[in-house]
Amino acid sequence: PPESVDEPAILKELRRHLSPGAGAPPPSDGSTVNVDDTPALPVAAIKCMLHVINHTSSHTMMGLQAELSVAADTLVEFAASSPSDPILGGRSHIALRSGCDLFLRYVTRAFLELPDFDAVVAAIAERGERFARLSVTARDRIARLGAPFVHHGAQVMTHGYSRTVRALFSEAARCGARFEVVVPEGRPDGGGAKAAAAYSEVGVPVRVVLDSAVACAMENVDAVVVGAEGVVENGGVVNKIGTYNMAIAAHAMGVPFYVAAESYKFARMYPLNNGDLVKEMDMDPARMPLDFVDTTKISWNKLHPKDVSETEKSVTLPEEAVINLPDSVTVENHPCDYTPAKYITLLFTDLGVLTPSAVSDELIRLYH
Amino acid sequence: MSGKPNKGPPKDVEKKPKLSKAERRALQEAQRATKAAGGGKGGGGGTAVGPGGKNTTVPGTGDAVATTSPVGLSNDVQEFSHLPPYREKSPADCGLTLSAGAPSGPSPALHPSVLALGLQYADGSVRGANARCKAMMGVFKDVIRDFEPSPGKILSQDLDHTIKSAFQHWTTKCRTHSVSMGSAFSFLKSLVAGLSRDITEKEAKEELTEQIDFYLHERLDFAGKVIASHAGKKIRNGDVILTYGRSSAVETLLRRARDDGKNFRVVVVDGRPLLEGKVFIRALAGHGIPCTYILLSGLSYVMREVSIVFLGAAALMSNGSVLGRAGTATVALAARASNVPVLFGCETYKISNRIQLESITGNELGNPDDVKDTGAGTSALDDWKDAPNLKLLNLLYDLTPSEFVSGIVTEMGILPPSSVAVLIREMNPQ
Repeated sequence: PPESVDEPAILKELRRHLSPGAGAPPPSDGSTVNVDDTPALPVAAIKCMLHVINHTSSHTMMGLQAELSVAADTLVEFAASSPSDPILGGRSHIALRSGCDLFLRYVTRAFLELPDFDAVVAAIAERGERFARLSVTARDRIARLGAPFVHHGAQVMTHGYSRTVRALFSEAARCGARFEVVVPEGRPDGGGAKAAAAYSEVGVPVRVVLDSAVACAMENVDAVVVGAEGVVENGGVVNKIGTYNMAIAAHAMGVPFYVAAESYKFARMYPLNNGDLVKEMDMDPARMPLDFVDTTKISWNKLHPKDVSETEKSVTLPEEAVINLPDSVTVENHPCDYTPAKYITLLFTDLGVLTPSAVSDELIRLYH
Repeated sequence: MSGKPNKGPPKDVEKKPKLSKAERRALQEAQRATKAAGGGKGGGGGTAVGPGGKNTTVPGTGDAVATTSPVGLSNDVQEFSHLPPYREKSPADCGLTLSAGAPSGPSPALHPSVLALGLQYADGSVRGANARCKAMMGVFKDVIRDFEPSPGKILSQDLDHTIKSAFQHWTTKCRTHSVSMGSAFSFLKSLVAGLSRDITEKEAKEELTEQIDFYLHERLDFAGKVIASHAGKKIRNGDVILTYGRSSAVETLLRRARDDGKNFRVVVVDGRPLLEGKVFIRALAGHGIPCTYILLSGLSYVMREVSIVFLGAAALMSNGSVLGRAGTATVALAARASNVPVLFGCETYKISNRIQLESITGNELGNPDDVKDTGAGTSALDDWKDAPNLKLLNLLYDLTPSEFVSGIVTEMGILPPSSVAVLIREMNPQ
């Protein structure tokens, strides 16, 4: 969708930072850029805040803080109101919020420690740059910490596409472990299928199952490793819808449940349950429509994609495959769910391997 | 074990007869009876151990305290003999005598406000963690204001002795102190100890009074307001909120939510014998909040409709378990079984660095007669003291294990129970 002319400058900045290749120089051979090169949402948010700092007309600390607050609110408001905007890649605004909060907190601290306005601006700008680079190094650290938990010969289940998990699997494979990944398809955005494509690139055999088959497949699984959009104060995680189902099934069958998340995803939220999360994130069903398709009616839906010719793939869906619902039926399409801490065995973060109760410890240290 | 010198008695000493457990117990009771009844000697000091685990000794002066006849001893429940037994306190027991002239009680003479508050503690007029703490600090302000330093003594030591005497009086003669009182008292003691040697009496009094006011304002009143604001984020239109008994923190947060315009209703669960919920529900209804009142027995019936439970706390243990009015743990358990989140509203000054795993080791015994007095006049249990196999037990507190706690709302925000230990560390960086 084209940018509107009167969109706030900060959102233009956000689009710029989230466009593919924003995080890395364009490949010299002219090939299309891999989605992996887009920076993480919180990092993009922080880059936007840096932009505000570098272009501020304010000369006082209070003025600058006010500007940054407004910018953060604009970003989060945008992410909350247009969740299906492709620039967000289906990610929720939690990661954006946590990144902004973290940065604002750092700014407040810097104001208290340094006396001079210009010194503060310089310090924050420098910290912001370091933070942007942090994203990549954090991922590497997590991969090295988490890889030993993927044992040789294991079946590992995951959910949705996470670059952090990809790095972890890549590292585990590099260290010589031979393991198989099981991933549910991840309706409605096909995140699991995208993950399957990405993980098989690093040489890991992947098996895709239906979302509804998670409990069945769990019988043979040795460990679950997922990413997170946000880690909340009680040690729980917010992640793509379906993570909670997977956690409950894993818990019921004694399978360890691991979460790989960078520390900038630690959010100042305290959901009591999924109902609380839905209300807090104000998920409006009208913003996230769903299509219902009976894929068994599609004649080109054969077992192996190579059997389908290019022309066959490009035709529109046959009428009999599409299921139309009357307006009286409400459809819920929440993008994410909340998994309580009691289902999580360990978290792999750039601060180390943490138990869920250590998350609050870190947050208290950070914010008080 | 070989090579150790033989520590047994010399062979010619007659060994004491081995008593059975029951016989040893009877001997102990008899000894205690003689101690309490006699006491003509100056050394009749007993030790009272409160829930805080502190040992406070009755100052052994002229007349040791006679805490009523030993008739009630055989009616105490053996399993709770580690707690001070409940004894009815008359005004005389609480230090209020009609004798003119030199005071016959422990010296120095206690301020009249101290004696008055002691009586209020003993008969239950002042109840609740915050109320007891505020009343105590108010009395300490009076004590400090009217304090006359003795010549030749260091001001801080003299004052320290005075306030300690007051605190001991309450704890040993009136009612065991609460964790909230203990925290505030520790704060005051460190203030007094920190007074500089050359400070004038007037300056010292001003400073102490100011600091006491600041403590009450920041750790109690302001904390209550911040708790209300954090808790308010979890209250939404249409919610059914359940609470137990009467808690000042919960009252503040419910009033605040109502003032913010939220539509919700409250179910107040009440427990015998104190029935504190009756006063609470009047206050809530008076503030325009639709309320329902049930006893604990109706809990499982109501729990299906409840969206969230807010409870008050007497103290917060460092392992995240919560000490509260007896009945609190039952409510938390029922909520947990129905998947209803349970939030405790608790100011940080109530945090204790003790760990408690169950409701037995640290508790307080109340009046056993309250168990049988249902207000219906006579009761089938009226002559329970004469029945040989019958004992009545009235425990005032219980412990809610951390597994039943979804979150604790403090002035630092909503925290998981595992973070209480972190708060202790952050508040006392040593």
